[in-house]
Amino acid sequence: MTDDLTEIADEVIETDVLMIGGGVGGCCAVAKAKENGLDVTLIEKAHIDRSGSAGQGIDHYEGFFTRDGTTTIENVSNEDWRLGRYGVRYPNLNVKYRLYKCQFWVFEQLEKLGVPMRWDDGEPYWIPFPFVGWERRKTGLRVHWTNIKPILGRAVRRSGARILNRTMAIDLLTKDGKVVGATAVNIRTGEFIVIKAKATLIATGKLMRLYNPETPMPWKYKFRYHFCPASSAGDGYALVYRAGGDLVNMDINAWTFRIRDDLTCSYGSFSLNDGVPMKTYTWDGEEIINPNATRYKQLEDEGKTPIYFGFDHFSEDSHKRLEVAFADERMLSFKVAEDRGFNPKTHRYELQDLSPTGFYRVSGIYIDENFRVLRGNKPIEGLYAFGDGSAGGTSGVAGAATGGLLLAEDLPEILQDMDEPEIDISQVEEQKQIALAPLAVEEGVEPLELESAIRDICERYVGMFKSEGKLREGLRRLGSLKDWLGKLSAETPHHITGYLECRNLLDLAEVHIKACIERKETRGNYFRSDYPDIDPDMDGKFFSQRIENGKEIIELREPIPLKPEYLKDAEEEKAELQTADAAS
Amino acid sequence: MSDKPEKTSDKHYEDKFEFPLWKLIQDRAEEKGISYAKAAPAVVAEYSKTIKYRDPEFEDKVIMARAEELNELGKKEEKLGIKFKDKKSK
Repeated sequence: MTDDLTEIADEVIETDVLMIGGGVGGCCAVAKAKENGLDVTLIEKAHIDRSGSAGQGIDHYEGFFTRDGTTTIENVSNEDWRLGRYGVRYPNLNVKYRLYKCQFWVFEQLEKLGVPMRWDDGEPYWIPFPFVGWERRKTGLRVHWTNIKPILGRAVRRSGARILNRTMAIDLLTKDGKVVGATAVNIRTGEFIVIKAKATLIATGKLMRLYNPETPMPWKYKFRYHFCPASSAGDGYALVYRAGGDLVNMDINAWTFRIRDDLTCSYGSFSLNDGVPMKTYTWDGEEIINPNATRYKQLEDEGKTPIYFGFDHFSEDSHKRLEVAFADERMLSFKVAEDRGFNPKTHRYELQDLSPTGFYRVSGIYIDENFRVLRGNKPIEGLYAFGDGSAGGTSGVAGAATGGLLLAEDLPEILQDMDEPEIDISQVEEQKQIALAPLAVEEGVEPLELESAIRDICERYVGMFKSEGKLREGLRRLGSLKDWLGKLSAETPHHITGYLECRNLLDLAEVHIKACIERKETRGNYFRSDYPDIDPDMDGKFFSQRIENGKEIIELREPIPLKPEYLKDAEEEKAELQTADAAS
Repeated sequence: MSDKPEKTSDKHYEDKFEFPLWKLIQDRAEEKGISYAKAAPAVVAEYSKTIKYRDPEFEDKVIMARAEELNELGKKEEKLGIKFKDKKSK
């Protein structure tokens, strides 16, 4: 075996910062890190101008506790309580606190990057919040970000960062417990690339492709996920897991109604419709409260399904707002709706079923408030993560942008005394073989077939209502799918993407099912038919999973509480507000 | 007019229609020889002026009216014994 990396790799890059993922978060981090004088390399498996979940645009930015920037302990507690609908708490509330604390700084930073935070009249627009009784100050911004990705792409190019589009990470490189970079493949040319980095940052989006898309028609060979399917393969989760980092709450995922007709009407600003929720109807026209999973089951038993969303109660003003939301976040919806005759003024959108969807917010890569990836409770040197793939509050465009900007601001000090990374060449050899293997397979299986089989297992044997027998059968069947990875073929380097995504999804499906087997209770959105009650011993706790010395570890952990200095800060702020209120 | 709610199957068949905003975006894109994505910002900015975004009194009225409807609907379901709350941690 050679000692010379240049004999194995088509390109060897040495850099201060390797950014894996060129979505909103990644682009913000890169631009800021370059501004701070660092050498930065960005790899993105698509193209930064339209990659990631913001690729078609974004209509809302949910970064604020309040419109005036206050961050009292009640705000933080309310946020934590709000996550109770997932049944669990954030693994580390300090992440969320730090993010919310600096939102107005982020506002300024995004404006500096050319992102329009204000409307044409020079003012931002705060989304009115629905429902009587809610804290009306809690809100986000309504934004017209059809072109946020080209804007950030321009900012990244102007920064002078090294940008490798159409380049997909294979695995992280590790040495003596540290992360020292990654290997990657150019999916146009097939070139194998080694990147040595003092700091490796991961922001590759959320995991959704363990389950079928939110709009499953026409079926599973089409990727009709609301968010970018390429950035929903959970790549970053798998990279971290294989490198020994923790994934948390991989039993807990969000759920949603699958919408048969138009995939976009239940997301973002649409679902809030600037404070005016949609109506939900049974098939015979009766209006009902939007059901949870248990109520939906009852409606099925009563013969009241299908159920539908409707906007026919909207005023002309609200219908125009819906159009603007389409333009901002998913212009394709105009064409889909017009081609199919889904007129929001008259149409009833069938809600097909309640199904598990993405792993984000409380689930994903375990990080601390400095965005360091954790192994147990200890940070892994050289590895950082933020954005949708990280558990604990950096989800959504606001979380991703804030995480990227804050981390990049800290990086110069972090990297100051860091040693030059050393590479284990045997890892490089191994990773190259893994990535390029499908190019040599003749008459093999298409990656999408294997991915469909993985998703079928999660749909059938995990799903919404789990039980021991189903989970164990799912795990067994997943095990027999692993042999198929070696039978996948890639006609061109482009198809290596699908192969590597399958590899990631196989690992993550196993993590998911094993976590579900461990949680023997029903709580929030997590349902075990064989354990229908809450287990009070599980209150507030979460599962973390990692690989240690070749062995899979699954641990039940307590969340990390707010740091004393944050608690003190929040309480002091509350006292100041009370004083100000009393004075006025 | 019947008091009974309308069955979904009786109406709402797909029909031809146009979104006014989409038409405006397409027209501008064609006029300027640019993409829809490039045409959208200017068109959206103008279209937004016809919407009462900066009228908080109007917005609050609309929101509260809908919130009141939902409150009433919630009470009606409670009277029928429909009360499914997700099991939550303390």
